[in-house]
Amino acid sequence: MECAESLRVQAYFDGEVDALSAADIERHVEHCAECRALLQDLERTRTAIRRDLTPGRAPPELHARIRQALDQETAVNTPRPNRWGRTTWRTQPFWVGALGGIGSAAVAATLAYLVLSPSITNPLLDDLVAAHVRSLMPSHLTDVVSTDRHTVKPWFAGHTDVSPVVADFAQQGYRLIGGRADYLDHQRSAVVVYQHGAHVINVFSWSASRGALPGNTTRGGYHLAFWKAGDLEYCAVSDTGWDELLGLARLLRDLSSRDDRE
Amino acid sequence: MDDKRGRFEAEVLPHLNAAYRFARWLSHSPGDVDDVVQEALLRAFRGFDALRGSDVKAWLLAIVRNCHATALKQQQRRAFVPLPEEHDPRDGYAMIAATPDPESASIRRDDARSLERLLSALPEEHREVLVLREIEDLDYRAIATITNVPIGTVMSRLARARAGLKARWLTEVEGERRGVR
Repeated sequence: MECAESLRVQAYFDGEVDALSAADIERHVEHCAECRALLQDLERTRTAIRRDLTPGRAPPELHARIRQALDQETAVNTPRPNRWGRTTWRTQPFWVGALGGIGSAAVAATLAYLVLSPSITNPLLDDLVAAHVRSLMPSHLTDVVSTDRHTVKPWFAGHTDVSPVVADFAQQGYRLIGGRADYLDHQRSAVVVYQHGAHVINVFSWSASRGALPGNTTRGGYHLAFWKAGDLEYCAVSDTGWDELLGLARLLRDLSSRDDRE
Repeated sequence: MDDKRGRFEAEVLPHLNAAYRFARWLSHSPGDVDDVVQEALLRAFRGFDALRGSDVKAWLLAIVRNCHATALKQQQRRAFVPLPEEHDPRDGYAMIAATPDPESASIRRDDARSLERLLSALPEEHREVLVLREIEDLDYRAIATITNVPIGTVMSRLARARAGLKARWLTEVEGERRGVR
């Protein structure tokens, strides 16, 4: 009854497929009336939801309550899990508080697991760190040396499979020093190289693929920050501090979303 | 310590509205939403040091979902608040009433109300993926993280949620509209 491609068509609609699969799906939709109808339905449902359901906002009282709770949390060093609540939390016996504590511990454990587990299992992390270290060896850093994004970006077109965002953020402290092609995760990834103070930051990019992107992590003293923009996945690797690394990641992400809108 | 508070306010508090919206869609009793969100923000604050992921919003919403589940379990165990048999459409409506769209005419409001009602009537596991995708505009990976299921499950739930909503929505609202135009 339902076309076997319907989940792929949905993924295409949600912007979750790479350019190659997208072309494939578009060809399919041309010939499949059912999937054409599906695409229309998806569009109409989305339009209705986004048009009619005005986004809700947290009431000002809640803002105030949360700030107050945070004040208490930062001021008092002996945590009593029960004290911040209103009615329901306050009228319950001590074991609810105890459960809350266990809950927090569970959340913390889950987070620790989420943060740590990809770094234990993911070979991509080793590849990225190895590529970063390799790049720091003499004359391996850049294939194209330029501080001009109009030189670096077109260079990628001929040498890699992807076209990442490239910009010079010299004013914010991240100087564009060039680009490089690297073989990563079975594809030719583009690497944009920045200098921040005495540190080199390699920004790897490749076509988004299957599987979960690892969370930000640290390997062998190098920080790795991951993010996704459009159909590309990015990873910034460096031995700078987290703040500096995430600062560049933020600049690049903002740039990608600006590009998308244009 | 102040630095942590400052970073928390800069990175996490901007997602408070998303946390509130999500909790509203999860909860059947609007009175609990504020408590759930407040608890979630406190847990987030305590776990903030461990946060290394770049997707703060998904991280926070996952905590909201956990807090909602915990609160629900407590209620069920203690039977403080019996779960309503049928969902009260006003529960969801309060959420859009907070910021009325100045141009919205009564037709638009009726649309919104019935859309709210249809969305609320979806099974929770379908509703949450649809809300995260269409209202919070999150990608599959973030939704999988928040709902703690594989991406494949996100995709099939999303498909069923959309099909369920479309079947009712398109007949009920678009059908009437077509008559008007």
